[in-house]
Amino acid sequence: MSKTGEYSTRVVEHLVLSRDVFRLTLEAPKLAAAARPGQFAMLGCGSGFDPFLRRPLSIHRVQGVSGTVSFLCRVRGRGTEWLASRRQGEAVSLLGPLGRGFRYEGNSKRALLVSAGIGVAPLLFLAETLMGLNWTITILIGARTRKGILCRSDFERYGRVLVSTDDGSAGRRGSVVDLLRKVFDKDSYAQIYACGPQPVLGAVSQLSADKGIPAQLSLEERMACGLGACMGCVCQGADPSRMVRVCADGPVFDASEVILNG
Amino acid sequence: MADLPVQIAGIGMKNPVLVASGTFGYGAEYRPVFDVSRLGALVTKGLTLKPCAGNPAPRLWETPAGLLNAIGLQNPGVDVFISDILPVMRSYGVPVIANIAGFTGEEFVALAERLDGSGVDGLELNISCPNVKAGGMALGADPCLAASVVAAVVRATSLPVIVKLTPNVTDIAGLAREVVAAGAAALSLINTLLGLAIDVDAGKPALGNVTGGLSGPAIRPVAVRAVWQVAQSVDVPIIGMGGICTGRDALEFILAGASAVAVGSALFHDPLAAVKVIKELERYCERKEIGDWRSLIGAAWKRGNSLAGEVR
Repeated sequence: MSKTGEYSTRVVEHLVLSRDVFRLTLEAPKLAAAARPGQFAMLGCGSGFDPFLRRPLSIHRVQGVSGTVSFLCRVRGRGTEWLASRRQGEAVSLLGPLGRGFRYEGNSKRALLVSAGIGVAPLLFLAETLMGLNWTITILIGARTRKGILCRSDFERYGRVLVSTDDGSAGRRGSVVDLLRKVFDKDSYAQIYACGPQPVLGAVSQLSADKGIPAQLSLEERMACGLGACMGCVCQGADPSRMVRVCADGPVFDASEVILNG
Repeated sequence: MADLPVQIAGIGMKNPVLVASGTFGYGAEYRPVFDVSRLGALVTKGLTLKPCAGNPAPRLWETPAGLLNAIGLQNPGVDVFISDILPVMRSYGVPVIANIAGFTGEEFVALAERLDGSGVDGLELNISCPNVKAGGMALGADPCLAASVVAAVVRATSLPVIVKLTPNVTDIAGLAREVVAAGAAALSLINTLLGLAIDVDAGKPALGNVTGGLSGPAIRPVAVRAVWQVAQSVDVPIIGMGGICTGRDALEFILAGASAVAVGSALFHDPLAAVKVIKELERYCERKEIGDWRSLIGAAWKRGNSLAGEVR
């Protein structure tokens, strides 16, 4: 299956998408060949030992022909600031691919992709993969304002895109959860895939349970090893006595496997 | 390449570079990244008598050149370790040291009894975890309690007993002397330093457990100092750890008196850190034309140090 490794890569492209979001494309042929949708990589930040930890980033897009892998990243602190300062030709160390990605078996190939904010990151790779497998997909993108809607035109290549913003500056006014409820009442889906803040994932999980439609959630957590060794990035499992590791047991979980406390 | 063999508490190792408990799982986790059989020995995540769910999230918080953790000993319990995990660990052909964490002295004895004859090569007594309410540092910071637990475990097992000490004490050399007098065959130092961080955006402590253990390069001078003091106070070998990222870091510990070192949090910065430390130690010994690398142990304070003036 996937071949995890520690690689020294070069920046091929750095693209600013909004005030605090950028897309980093790295030359990483081995990662490009091995990565599956929903998996992630740990990116080294800084040239010394401070910042100390790598940052986990979802694999956003893979271009097998050119051997490149893209990451979508929001600047949140010192590590992501350093990544944001990387320019073409500069080195970034990378450990990946890591984790358990999205699963897409079954005959009824109709999927609903739900994202909010930076949550679009892993779903673009998934959307592209599902289209290649002849799935029909609807993509919901939510954000606070129009400027927070990311990758809309990218997603439009793979399916129907519906947008919501809290202030109504793009698409339907309200949260992506409202949009999700509305879409749900009209159409039927075999599978939901979601990535975003905990309240959105919680709502997706609830809806999945109510309607009996399976949902897969991509979770985010602070990580140290990324390999399942340190037990640092845990989430409450459905069995209350069990804490599951986001890095190794996930980051993609069936909604029924985890209890979200957002 | 230079040979770097060493014996710690009767456990023969092909080199003196181990991994610190809790940072390496049970070895299998790192196998996709490097050949774990290159290490001197493997040290398990802390094992408890019953399965342990650990502390609530969040469990990690990055700090300047380091990290705070409050995992709380999440592990499947010693029985699952012996039946399911240990056979895999033994297949790597490297000594396996089981880190054991009782919540009481009796539990430490019970853990040692379970592991006696199980196939592990030694025990590391975790009387220094700062992230549990019972056992751990609560036992290990009191020299009398620590010595009584060590003596009871030594009586209960035929395995070599290594004791991991907490730095959160006033007199670590005094603590070490008590523990060695009680039968410890070797010492591991240091465990993490007790710390706390506040998430100012959330207005509350960053960790679910409130306090956590600080590790990483930020604590290295504290650890080197502890090794320096303890090595001159006891006659058992010391496994030095605390922020070791490079071969030069490892040499600091060795010159301060450590007979072996463990790489821990540095694996999070670079999963290849431990193998790089091995290579750098080999290269150092070749460059300095050191016949027996063990002549470096404690060389920074030993009289007649032939390296004096040479180690830069």
